[in-house]
Amino acid sequence: MSWEAVARKDFRDAVRSRWLWVLSVLSVLVFAGAAVGRLYVGGGNQQEAAAILRGFLFYLKQGTAIIIPLTALVVTYASITRERESGTIKLLLSLPHSRDDVVLGKFLGRSAVVTLPVLIGFVVALLALLPAASGLDIFVYVQFALLTALLGVVFVGIGVGVSAAVSTNQRALVGAGGLFAVFWFLWNFFVTGVNRAATDLFGLSTPDQFRLRLALKILNPIQAYKTLVDSLFMSDLEGRIRMFSMLFGMIPNQQAAQALGPELSPAFGDAVVLAAMLLWLVLPLTVGIVWFREAEL
Amino acid sequence: MAAIELDGVTKRFGDVTAVEELDLTVPEGEVFGFLGPNGAGKSTTINVLLDFVRPSSGRVEVLGMDPQADSVAVRDRTGVLPEGFSVYDRLTGREHIEFAIESKEADVDPDAVLDRVGLAGDGDRKAGGYSKGMAQRLALGMALVGDPDLLILDEPSSGLDPAGAKEMRDIVREEADRGATVFFSSHVLGQVEAVCDSVGILRDGELVARDSIEGLRETVGTGATLEITAEGVTDDDLGAVRGLDGVDAASTDGATVTVQCDSEAKTAVIGALEDAGVAVEDFSTRESSLEDLFLAYTEGSAPDEAPDGATEVDA
Repeated sequence: MSWEAVARKDFRDAVRSRWLWVLSVLSVLVFAGAAVGRLYVGGGNQQEAAAILRGFLFYLKQGTAIIIPLTALVVTYASITRERESGTIKLLLSLPHSRDDVVLGKFLGRSAVVTLPVLIGFVVALLALLPAASGLDIFVYVQFALLTALLGVVFVGIGVGVSAAVSTNQRALVGAGGLFAVFWFLWNFFVTGVNRAATDLFGLSTPDQFRLRLALKILNPIQAYKTLVDSLFMSDLEGRIRMFSMLFGMIPNQQAAQALGPELSPAFGDAVVLAAMLLWLVLPLTVGIVWFREAEL
Repeated sequence: MAAIELDGVTKRFGDVTAVEELDLTVPEGEVFGFLGPNGAGKSTTINVLLDFVRPSSGRVEVLGMDPQADSVAVRDRTGVLPEGFSVYDRLTGREHIEFAIESKEADVDPDAVLDRVGLAGDGDRKAGGYSKGMAQRLALGMALVGDPDLLILDEPSSGLDPAGAKEMRDIVREEADRGATVFFSSHVLGQVEAVCDSVGILRDGELVARDSIEGLRETVGTGATLEITAEGVTDDDLGAVRGLDGVDAASTDGATVTVQCDSEAKTAVIGALEDAGVAVEDFSTRESSLEDLFLAYTEGSAPDEAPDGATEVDA
């Protein structure tokens, strides 16, 4: 398959950039740190140790939620535009690859570049964790690593999609940076704004307002990732309520708990949240592929 | 069947026309030299063949296929040395060739390819450290992988020293002997004269000549180059000269008028210039070379014809 050749070539190329190594070291430190904390700080008491692991992952998530999207975008935003600006794209497209295969191959190659360090870090951590871990801890750990890798892949899709859709590095940087800012800084303003407008227009009840806000929050891939990680330690409902809490989840929002509980609607279940993340994988890539088909090189 | 067929192809970038109403057929098995000064539209034409850009109007066929609809199939049977490319800095020369082999699902030894293009011994070096000429050889090597039916080489000699340019021509000849069609662009006649069966000369996006090398030689053989010294001549003054029987081309740099014509037409040329109000100070004639003919086709009046700078387009 043509995209396989492109992906392999791209991975071989990207692997030689220092980014992969910076990322690997970083993620080994982060994941192994969790493991070491679990082993040595937790001591012999199983329950105490489990609580420390959970606490650690809970705060770790705040770090991965910003580092993983940021590195994925840095690694990908110029993945196609740089080839267009330097002229390597002419070498690439002189060979029998379709433009779709170029975008897909880039996506796969860069996905490997971003997820490999996460998985390496995780495996190192797992080896350190194994002797003292309970089965539950390891299961939670595996899921956390997979979710984190998925977050990376989603942002690789966003970065490659942007890079395919525009013609210059500069525009790709603005596009990728803009999306990052939207997800990290502007999304909650957007949620509040839409909620206020909808409430003014349709006179929504308080529970309806929370449901609307929750639906909009889930559509943010970073918030979706965080609440899915929370769900590893608690119920879906508690995970979703956390999305409304203050100060990194230290102050729970009682109103949200009342509005969304006691039974969480299946519309806000983990499966739906996961689907929202996958939407952000498919949508930018599709836009990128379609626009790149029309591009003149 | 034709390897390449262009039918009324026009390509505009904004309000600049890079190629205009181009009709061109290259039969299978021919070595075709696509000549023209920089900016004449050669690369744009090649980019249309490869689906890097899409024509504004007109019909294109490469190996009997539509390069837009069957883009991958066209490039599967075509080896390309593109213009304005660069190599992957972090990959070695051999990895470039291996990528081409993998992409074309060919079964060849990468080292044999490197050896053929004169890069034996450099295969393990990162291509980022290659000189322009070495990068050019590497791209040629990638183009040769898989014995393509059609070779499209855009300014293949650029960056090569004379010995390298000769090796390039040898490879072109070998490929032609194998039965491949070669489409070879250059702004230097000498590069194509030695290997091409026929040439087309492009100027300001239009094909101004299409002939076999022998045909061109015949034109030159009976002709003469007339150099006329006359101050302040403009291209407009040459209209009447170009209309004369026996005149192939006329150009001026403002101080000298150069005319390619039959020997018998000389007197008529001088007469036509004087009728146009040009004060002829002096003139001389000599037997034309192929180079004179090429220069006459490609140099001279372009700036007057295209004051909007259309001649500078080389996308």
